[in-house]
Amino acid sequence: MEATNLALVKENVTKCMGCGICRGVWERKDVAMCPVWATGVGFEDSSPRGRVTVAQDILDSHISYSSPLADSVFRCTDCGCCATTCDAMDPNTLEPIVNVPQIVRAMRMDLVENSLVPPLVRDYMKAVHINGNPYKQPQDARGNWAKGSEVPLYSGQEYLFYVGDVGSYDERGQKMARSVAKLLMTGGVSLGILGSEEYSDGNDTMVMGESGLFQYLAEANIAAFKKHSIKKIISLDPHSYNAFANHYDQWGAGFQIQHYSEVLAELLSTGRLSPGRLGIKATYHDPCYLGRHNEIYEAPRKVLGAVPGLKLVEMPRMRKSAFCCGGGGGNFFTDLIGGGECSPNRVRIREALDTGAEVVAVACPLCAKMLEDALKAESLDDRIAVKDISEILLDSFA
Amino acid sequence: MAANLEEIRGALEAIVGRANLSGDAPDMIPYIKDSYSTMMGREVPLPDFVVMPKTAEEVQEIVKLANQHLFPIYPRSFGVNIAGSALPYAGGVVLDLKRMDRIIEINEDTMTATIEPGVTWGRLRKEANKKGLDVIPIGGPYQTSPVGNHLLTNITLYSSKYHCDRAVTLKAVLPNGEILRTGSWASAVGGEVNPYFRYAYGPDMTGMFRGSLGNYGIIVEMVERLRPVAPVEKNVFFGFEELAPCLKAMQAVERLEFSRTCQASNSSMTAHLILSPHRIKDPEQRQKLLARLPNYQITLGLGGTEEMVALFERVANEKIAEYGGKPFCLEPEEMAILNQVAEGASRGIMHMYAPCSGFAAVIGCLPITHVAEINGIVKQIVGKYDLRDPLSGEPLDHQLIVLPYDRCSTVYVEQEILYDPALDQAQLLPVMQCLRDCYAQIVGKYGASHTIPNKTLMKNMLPSYVELLTGFKKMVDPNNIMMPGGPYSLD
Repeated sequence: MEATNLALVKENVTKCMGCGICRGVWERKDVAMCPVWATGVGFEDSSPRGRVTVAQDILDSHISYSSPLADSVFRCTDCGCCATTCDAMDPNTLEPIVNVPQIVRAMRMDLVENSLVPPLVRDYMKAVHINGNPYKQPQDARGNWAKGSEVPLYSGQEYLFYVGDVGSYDERGQKMARSVAKLLMTGGVSLGILGSEEYSDGNDTMVMGESGLFQYLAEANIAAFKKHSIKKIISLDPHSYNAFANHYDQWGAGFQIQHYSEVLAELLSTGRLSPGRLGIKATYHDPCYLGRHNEIYEAPRKVLGAVPGLKLVEMPRMRKSAFCCGGGGGNFFTDLIGGGECSPNRVRIREALDTGAEVVAVACPLCAKMLEDALKAESLDDRIAVKDISEILLDSFA
Repeated sequence: MAANLEEIRGALEAIVGRANLSGDAPDMIPYIKDSYSTMMGREVPLPDFVVMPKTAEEVQEIVKLANQHLFPIYPRSFGVNIAGSALPYAGGVVLDLKRMDRIIEINEDTMTATIEPGVTWGRLRKEANKKGLDVIPIGGPYQTSPVGNHLLTNITLYSSKYHCDRAVTLKAVLPNGEILRTGSWASAVGGEVNPYFRYAYGPDMTGMFRGSLGNYGIIVEMVERLRPVAPVEKNVFFGFEELAPCLKAMQAVERLEFSRTCQASNSSMTAHLILSPHRIKDPEQRQKLLARLPNYQITLGLGGTEEMVALFERVANEKIAEYGGKPFCLEPEEMAILNQVAEGASRGIMHMYAPCSGFAAVIGCLPITHVAEINGIVKQIVGKYDLRDPLSGEPLDHQLIVLPYDRCSTVYVEQEILYDPALDQAQLLPVMQCLRDCYAQIVGKYGASHTIPNKTLMKNMLPSYVELLTGFKKMVDPNNIMMPGGPYSLD
């Protein structure tokens, strides 16, 4: 069984001393915690340390990739908290010496190449491959979310508003896309969407190890952007942002990417949007692909901070130490972590509730959906609401 | 075991449930490795199964099954140890006890907590704080289990005032599957309502388990001593140019009996504690920090009312000054790390592994009188092997930390040799040889003792002592199912 991708990160693997700090700990609320380990289900291989130990044995040819191993590897949410908790970093580059997400991605690539992915992952890949999206919806329905709104198709505007799979097809994501688009246009941003010419960003395909499909999607998107001479993009989804900002350049993307929270913050600071008063207490949940992966912590907080009367109360696990909702790394679609009282989204919603906030603000359609599901599971609908920062802003206008 | 593996699997599944048993290699591999096995190049076999029991009754059933089928058992609490003390050296079954995580009671009157092995000290601290109590610090990560720590003993540090022994009584599943309770808990009549007195009914059976590393059975509940949270807590830091006066001052301050915690270290250790790589902007910062640090430091933890702490600090200042020590202060971020370490917090302590990830420790407990000498010996041996600092490439300045282990009659001395964990076995040879030479000197010349029954060190013990330790083991574990085959085995 080939482990060619894992071999490329061998040095990363061998640096781990096995202390287990990467697992995180409930009691230190300011320290990041592995959301999979936090579920309390599974053996030590459910922890970042466990995954690295398994990787070491694969490299030493003591074991080979197998289906049970694949189940464990694909449960990782790619949230990156282990890399921030591990203090073993290269002093010169400040990069973690033991970068578990990188190791996990390499293992996933090997598993894909060895045809050993779990059925739910296979189904996801197949749906994206055949339909261009994981919802198995037609490509020409991609822009349907904008029907009835004033959001135009792209025709040379300053910005492309890229909404991604969840914004295009998921009801919750569509609501968020409409709200963001409305605010951006209210602030005078010249934008358009690609509709049926937009392709899946491929971020989750990439982190699930399907690099070939990711490249295909990236090249399709880049071709569409180039065809329309698009230079500036605003993304709805931090997952898309991550793919565009960190991976598309290898195929000659060459465009400027912003997350919508950054643009909203700019519109507010320049007075192009003037929110009304909203006397609420809100807490903010940092999405992993916006925060830890791309270090955008301030913009969403600036948006919330601009709303008069809104009191922002932070959860102890925030910013770099934020607790993942469990939807990263493909788990939003595959749900390999499963439900239960200690599932990451339920843990996170309880952490939000503990702040005394009435609203948990998000800036990612996947987080919104994950946390809303948790609200239902915890029967907390009447105590706290999940809202996107754009929805809160719109509420203030009302 | 191979012959009846399926039968055993079926029986184990019936005890813990299918979801809490695995015989798959990917699930089990994380249980056979730690930095000890990696450094020593020790190949530990895969166990046949890893199981996660939830209750003492399940543990009893598993142990009885082990006696029936004669398979070894290796329990582990929360899996923080990196010194090879919970590895399955002879295969068999690993008992992962993380699901046994109940805090059964926090008793404000007796200042104790009754806990299961899967309770971490971080979690216990959080719950104890709600009742105005605190855990006596452990010098390990927040994930450390107080039960596992009792079995290991050598990471119970820092607390001069509260002594190193935090266990009161315990409930264990003996290797024959029977339940043993120690201290006042041992009584079948009334023991259940009073498990709070350790020194009941003769010899100290709680102490028998201390340092036993699972050889005598599996602790399923333990009554842990707590301490009150002080209204005001403050750490104070003093610097010295020479080690000898630093140690004298430490001894003098400890005799005043007001510090809650106390430790001494050299600048190499302190720098590694402070210099989380998050904070290193360039390697030169390390040199700059070393230049700002006094050569040796004492940290004292003070607690009490505001007036008490102010008084203690003044008296400590005066006493330390008699030995030429001076208070020192660093940048707020740096002091924050030192404060974390002084409180026994995890991340600060983990920083010392950070820049290179690998370290080998020369550990010994002995009178403070000899610390300066053995520090010189280790320095000389490190120099002889020309060991290099893995971070800077410069000649290695070993790290020293001194803690009053037993109210300062004996101190715990740890001298650490850092190495690059990416080194292969051949490259690690000088490090290991250096370790052996250091141990030979400090044990042979000064009688420095270890806290756990390491087999190599046991060779130096009086036959009568070894006979008692192993005789007790044979009595409670005639089939030798608990922890056989490893460096800490008493078989």
